[in-house]
Order: sequence, then structure tokens, then C-alpha cells
Amino acid sequence: MKLLSLTCERFRNLGAVTLDASAGTTVAVGENGQGKTNLLEALYFLATLKPLRASKLVELVQWGQTQARVSARFVLGGAERELSVVVGDGTRTALVDGKKASSFEGYFGGVSVVAFTPDDLQVVKGGPDGRRAFLDRAVFNRAPAYLQESRDYARALKSRNRLLKSQAPAAHLAPWDDTLARLGARVWARRRALLLEVGPRTSEAFERISRSGLEAHVWSAPSGLDLLEFRAKSEDELQQHLLRALDERRGRDLERGFTSSGPHTDDLTLELDGRPAKAFASQGQARALVLAWKVAEIENLQAASGVLPLLLLDDVSSELDPERNAFLMGYLKASGAQVVLTTTDERLVRDAAGTQARWYRVRGGTAEPYSSP
Amino acid sequence: MTPDALNRLVAQLAKLPGIGEKTAQRLAFHLLRAPPELARGLAQSLTEVVDRVRLCSRCFSLTEGEAGAPCGFCTDTRRDDRVLCVVEGIADELALERTREFRGRYHVLHGALSPLEGIGPDQLRIRELLVRLQGQAFEEVIVATNPDVEGEATALYLTRLLKPMGLKVTRLAQGLPMGGDLEYADQATLARALSARRDL
Repeated sequence: MKLLSLTCERFRNLGAVTLDASAGTTVAVGENGQGKTNLLEALYFLATLKPLRASKLVELVQWGQTQARVSARFVLGGAERELSVVVGDGTRTALVDGKKASSFEGYFGGVSVVAFTPDDLQVVKGGPDGRRAFLDRAVFNRAPAYLQESRDYARALKSRNRLLKSQAPAAHLAPWDDTLARLGARVWARRRALLLEVGPRTSEAFERISRSGLEAHVWSAPSGLDLLEFRAKSEDELQQHLLRALDERRGRDLERGFTSSGPHTDDLTLELDGRPAKAFASQGQARALVLAWKVAEIENLQAASGVLPLLLLDDVSSELDPERNAFLMGYLKASGAQVVLTTTDERLVRDAAGTQARWYRVRGGTAEPYSSP
Repeated sequence: MTPDALNRLVAQLAKLPGIGEKTAQRLAFHLLRAPPELARGLAQSLTEVVDRVRLCSRCFSLTEGEAGAPCGFCTDTRRDDRVLCVVEGIADELALERTREFRGRYHVLHGALSPLEGIGPDQLRIRELLVRLQGQAFEEVIVATNPDVEGEATALYLTRLLKPMGLKVTRLAQGLPMGGDLEYADQATLARALSARRDL
């Protein structure tokens, strides 16, 4: 998979911008608020149909306009394809070579991206919903079918909550408990499969980055199960587990009007030497941990599909200390991955860029190419 | 000034699903220019459909018979009285019928459970289904609701009701479409088909 070029029209503050991507690193340099991140977000949105930052679809359209369009040319499996997405009226339309894509899976075939933003660096110290979203993004990158599965789960959850709020009788709730348990078990199984792959790689990458001798451990388990029990359970057993939990807490759920058990309440636990990183990790260790996770995710995608994902880095260098930034830049260069990154300070990323890099200066919603600094 | 009668026709046509103002206008002009038999025939069909077509009192499919009389599917003596197929809508029933494989009886629910749209068991023809199952000696109920979140929940609701009645309850299998290419199957379907694979 190779990105050839990106075109944005009326996307956030980008009026009409075209970027020719380098086979190696493409760098967007600019002050804050000029549109660097919007370029990355356009690419991320195109590849996942989800906004990178929590926002409504209308916010993706330039102020005062009704429709935004992002398109990019990729080489996928040896053939050149154009993927586009049009946003307007709160809906998005995905197109492949100008034709409306019949299914998400057809659209996503072959494109994979891993994004790394300053928000990710807050994941360790932030709230559980941020960590769940962080985990789910990785699951989705690995298994595109998870998009539909997690949507189905969310829909069943919303349905059950609606019944809880209207104090529906047990007989009406029962089929939704069953449905939620089946879909929830699938979400658990998907997250577990990803963590089994990415967890050990994260520990290993953390050691390479921090050289501290501390052992990093990332895991997640449903409440009421320890990690060993969780690993040993089949998807059917997980379904039974969730069904029991829903059953036991139905009284409380009815009182509160929402469902209090299931994958939507889980946390992603990050530990250093068995202690929760949320409480005990230093700021630097927390960042190294996130960096290790991202490296693990990239390596895992490559191992699983044989294709390196496209890497999108949003001004991460300025958030890392010089040593960790040097590691990241060295890693990017050695990985051979195609990278699009933004920075406020071109000196921070020069080591990763290499000679075939393309440089763009982003100013007031436009991007102008310039020669290597 | 266009005549009021024409304006009224355009406005009414535009209320139909999938038809906007422009298409409505085009249809109206077409009706106006065509021989008057077309418009009169259409008007007559419209009236007949609302006056004559009603729901079957037994399976809630469509019928043209007297009020209270069962439909063609229910009165056909060649059909199997031991198997009942439960579907969400009439379009689903027609799709199954086109296979010419199923020779049992039907029951149309007219929807699926959907709390988000305010549809519970009382809004569907479920009570009627239970009455029917008590009165007739069915052996098997095939639940043929859609394989989406709402359809699955409806199937589970029915299973919980019907199993205790001593009935065999089955669900349509899910998997790959016939005559299709594996490579064109969507991933959810393919994953389902893989997990429900069978011995050869």
C-alpha cells in the first residue's frame, strides 16, 4: 500500500489543498492553528471514515460551506485506486474510483493507517473512556469487521437502556440481554485477540525505548474475571458470563436507567512492574508506554498482513523528550514505513525525514511545497 | 398559472417515498398527456387496493377476500400444516415463496422489536401468533427474521416464548450467498460462515 497524493476541498480550514506524498516521509511544517493537523485528520478520516478528534461530522466541513471532500490516490495491491469521501448534511459518502462503495469492507480493503497524536499521550493518565477508544481504534485497524460489530453492540446497548428507562417488564428486557450478551462476547473476544498480539510486543518495545528494566504489561478483562480466567474462556462462555452479570444487576440497572455491565464499562490496564501506570508512572514513562504501544501496533499489523500501515504523526515530537524523540525518529527511518507527519519545528523531525522526504509549509489553510531545509 | 387540479396531483405524488417535486411534476405531465385510460385505470387500481386488500385474519399476510376470511396461503390444502415460518414483513414472505422450497404456513409479524423506534412485543402480531399456535398442531416454527440486531432480538424473544410450548424452534442459517465469489463476501458474513463451518 502506498499513498500517492491527497486532495482536500473545504475540509475544516483547508480550502483547496493538494499534497504529493513521498514514498518515505512527507512533512507538514507550520505554526499552530494553520491546518497541519487537519491534513492528517483528512487522511485518517479517509482511511477509517471516523474523525480523528472527537467531533461531529458537520464540524469537518469548512465554516460557511455545505460540503467537504477528501480524496487520495493509493497504490493498492499493485493497482492505482482513488478513494474519496464526501461529507455534508451530517452524512458521509465513500467512493472508490468515483463510484459509491457498496460496503464499508469493500471500501476499506487494503488501506490501513496508524495515527499518533498528542491526545494519545494523555491516554495513560486520562479516563477509561479514552483508553477504551484507544484500544478500539487498534482493534478496528487489525479487524475491519469490528466496525460493524462494535456498532451493533452500541445499538443493542442503546436499545436495552431505552427499555430500562421506560421500566420495561423483564420479559421485554430478556431478548435484549441475550442480544447484548452475544454481541458483547464478540467485542471481548476481538479485544482479547488484539491484546494477545499487541501486549507482548508492547512490553518488548517498551524495553527498547526506556531501557529501564521495568516490565510493561497491558491487559483488559471483564469485571468479575481475572486475566487467566478471561483468557481461558470461549466466546460462548463469555456470553454466559455477560448474561449472568446482566441478570444479577438488572434491578440496579432498572433503578439507574442504564446498563452497568459489559465491554462498554471495561478499562484498558497499563502496568509497569505490576503497578498501575495511571498512578505510578512518571510523565516520561507514560509517554514511552504509549510510544511502545504504537510501535507494537505497527509491527503487529505488518506481521499479520505483510503490509506496513501508513503512519500519521501529529506534532508528537514536541511532546517527547529529546531521547524518546530520537528513538521514534530512528524507528521511523529504520521501519521503511510511509509516514506523514506534522511539526512546528522542522529540526525535530529532520532525522526521520531522509533525503527523499517532501516538505510542505502549511499557512492559513494552504500548503506550499518547499525544498529540504 | 397552473391549474389547481394539476398542483394537487403533483403535491400528492411528491408525498410518495423516493419521489421528489420534479419527478412528481414529470409523472403528472405524463399522466396528463397519455390517453385518459391510463389515469382512470390508475385511479381505479388505487381505490381497489385500499378498498379490497386487507390483512389475512390468520397469518396477517395480504388477501383480497371477504373481511375475516383467511388468505390463499392459509387456505391452500396442499401446504404443510406442521411447519410455520415467521417473517418480519410481507416482502420477506414473498422472497421465501419465490424459492418454491417452503411448503408450510406463514405468519407475518409486521416489524421487529426496536426499543429505539418504540416497537415492543405489543406492537407486533405476536399475541396472534401465540393464539394461532395454541389452536393448531404445528411441530416446528422457523424464525426467519432479519439477521440484524433487531431481527436477532425478535428471534430470541420468540424462542423464549415458543420453546416452553414444546415446539421445535429453528432459525435460518447465515453464511455465504450461493453462486457468489468468496472474495466478494463482506467480512462479517465470511466470519460468520467460517465459525459455522461444517464437516464434509
